[in-house]
Amino acid sequence: MTDLLRRLLRTPQGALGLLILLLIALACVFGPSLAPHDPERMNILGRFRPPGAQNWMGADQLGRDMLSRLLIGARTTVPLALLATLAGSAVGASLGTVSAYLGGRWDEAIMRTVDAILAVPGLLLALLIVSTLGKGGGNAVLAVAIAFVPGMTRVTRSVALSVRRQDYVSAAIARGEGGAWIVFREMLPNVAAPIVIETTIRVAFAVMLFATLSFLGLGAQPPAPEWGLMVSEARRYLHQAPWMIVSPGLAIAVTVIGFNLLGDGLRDALNPRDDR
Amino acid sequence: MTRPVLDVAGYTLDYATRAGPYRALDDVSLQIAPGEVLGLVGESGSGKTSLAWAIMRALPGNAIEPAGAIRLGAEDLMRMDQRAMGAIRGRRIGMVFQDPAASLNPTLTLGRQLTEVLERHRGLDRAAAWREGIEALRRVELRDPEALMRRYPHEASGGEKQRVVIASAFACRPELIVFDEPTTALDVITGARILDLFRRLRQETGVAGLYISHDLALVGRVAGRVAVLQRGRVVEQAAAATIFQAPAHPYTRALVDAVPRPERRLVRDEPGDGELIAARDIGVRYGRRRWFGAAPVSGARGISLAVRPGEILGVVGESGSGKSTLARALTGLAPFEGEIGFAGRRITAPAGMDAAYRRAVQIVFQHPDASLNPRQRVGSILERPLRLYGGEAASIPRLLEEVRLPAGFARRYPHQLSGGEKQRVAVARAFAANPALVVCDEITSSLDVSVQASVIELLLALRRQHGTAYLFITHDLNLVRQIAHRVAVMRQGELVDLLPTAALDGADVHPYTRELIAASPTPVGARP
Repeated sequence: MTDLLRRLLRTPQGALGLLILLLIALACVFGPSLAPHDPERMNILGRFRPPGAQNWMGADQLGRDMLSRLLIGARTTVPLALLATLAGSAVGASLGTVSAYLGGRWDEAIMRTVDAILAVPGLLLALLIVSTLGKGGGNAVLAVAIAFVPGMTRVTRSVALSVRRQDYVSAAIARGEGGAWIVFREMLPNVAAPIVIETTIRVAFAVMLFATLSFLGLGAQPPAPEWGLMVSEARRYLHQAPWMIVSPGLAIAVTVIGFNLLGDGLRDALNPRDDR
Repeated sequence: MTRPVLDVAGYTLDYATRAGPYRALDDVSLQIAPGEVLGLVGESGSGKTSLAWAIMRALPGNAIEPAGAIRLGAEDLMRMDQRAMGAIRGRRIGMVFQDPAASLNPTLTLGRQLTEVLERHRGLDRAAAWREGIEALRRVELRDPEALMRRYPHEASGGEKQRVVIASAFACRPELIVFDEPTTALDVITGARILDLFRRLRQETGVAGLYISHDLALVGRVAGRVAVLQRGRVVEQAAAATIFQAPAHPYTRALVDAVPRPERRLVRDEPGDGELIAARDIGVRYGRRRWFGAAPVSGARGISLAVRPGEILGVVGESGSGKSTLARALTGLAPFEGEIGFAGRRITAPAGMDAAYRRAVQIVFQHPDASLNPRQRVGSILERPLRLYGGEAASIPRLLEEVRLPAGFARRYPHQLSGGEKQRVAVARAFAANPALVVCDEITSSLDVSVQASVIELLLALRRQHGTAYLFITHDLNLVRQIAHRVAVMRQGELVDLLPTAALDGADVHPYTRELIAASPTPVGARP
């Protein structure tokens, strides 16, 4: 594990991605104590105040401090995206490996179902689920997780198929191991590297998907300081107060870039042949 | 003395790696006289192929050449630029690679690839080159060369492709041809025919050759002189007969001793009575049965054989003869037809193999890289069968000791071991179950000769200790004749012969078996 971290830090993308994510994690943990103002305190006199000494990133249409809202909003945006991605990846990875292991008709049945779900765009699927189950953060997590399962299943299966043909899997079958052992102990560790990389990149998608859901009014509800929701509210005042849309937009972009860079770094660090 | 065709003098080659320079070749000096064939023998990693690339001046970007000279006739190849080398490669030095499938361009016809060489180096026009190409193919004993010229590489067999490569190497009448393991990728009989062809062509043209191989017996048949390469150094250089009959250097002696010789039996005892396991009419089909389309491919059919307790049954045949398919059926890795008799029971499907059968029949695979899970330590690889078959994790050090590995290896990962060590771990895993029969599927063919000898020795020692029977699958007939009690010969999924090893030289063997024996390289030292 420490070895992996060292190799990760040796790649420029990995080091930069890790640094960005560390800053975001700090914002998630210490956000409320770092915030200079109460994120929900309105100030009629300070409406649309441009960035300056009083409000470092300006104020919104109700005079709320943007910086404080961003710092506290990190808590609702990033962990939820992470949770949804992890849930979706775990289910997808298991399903993909099982499908590759079983092969034949089972493989056919699982993969055709996955293909059918994959034909529906992720956002549309998430919208469908949220509108069926109702608005709210928890349902949004579920929706994003389900939307991620088919893609993850495909990625995992393609790797697991080549692992399935390896002799160590044959050896396990020949000595009479059960299916669960072969899938989770023999095969899954050997497909982990692409899964981990795909997951980090997908966290970035999840952040955007959450922001989009909130933007469309189906995720977090006002007055919650969720980043996507903030963009959505700021849209109306785009010409009046551009800082209102720039700062949450930038926060989303930086988070996405951070996870993408980490994914790139992990891809290099997890390459087992690169031991020299 | 005439000037040598190729003169390599004090040549040293380093590869720049992240861990610092790695010395691939160290002070190598070789000379090849006109019309002479020099055999270059060494194990994997000894720098054989690096030398071939150095002569062709096609080294990778991280190569550094601190010292030495390579001269072709009077010219120094190391001073040539790429343009000048382009006129020499193919024209004055020909090359034949190991894998004919990889050295031919799959998108061009065989004829086009052959005439390209002729047009470029001999200045022939297209029609003349085509005629000359057909002539060249006829010289390498290919049937119907006109039709072959119009075919693509995938429409020709491996042997035909290698003949085309040889034809194009000889077509420009070069001074020197470099052969890099030209028969390794081919099966035994095809390889032997290619070798005969090579000898005849060489006598006709008088070209000099550098013949690179890991197979001592093979080199002894084609080369006049042999150089032995060990870790980038030439340790011995002498006439072929001298090297094989009176090797001077200890490394050469070890190499020569490690080559299997059928007359030197390693197993003297007789197997027990009765039947340990009996396969009756076993057949395997690959692919799913579909409603429309062709019937599934048959991997093996109608195979009946029995293994006695403690017996070593050798299974030989070319690639694709169904040897491994048989192994997969016996270990329940492939659905099969027919039945397996074991301990008074009849097994008709992989699902019918209970824990007792799984424990009794173990398998060791060809490639140790693929058969050990790279994410598990050696300790947990060995622990699993122990736990599954009621052993204790405490016996891991004993298992490692039995396969002559230090107990500390339990903490290592497979990629930290050498090929031979990995194969020992795979053997230890099979023996963790305390089996009655171990199916060895080509377990030594990816190993060097000396490592192969030590693995065989280990298997025999384990057999003495535990009385295990082996189903020993290999393409090396000489090896089988050293150790097996009986030999089964397979061809195209069928069993053509099953007889005691001593009867192989007898009169009533299948013609195919006789052909196989004739094609197996004459062991070194047996003939001057």
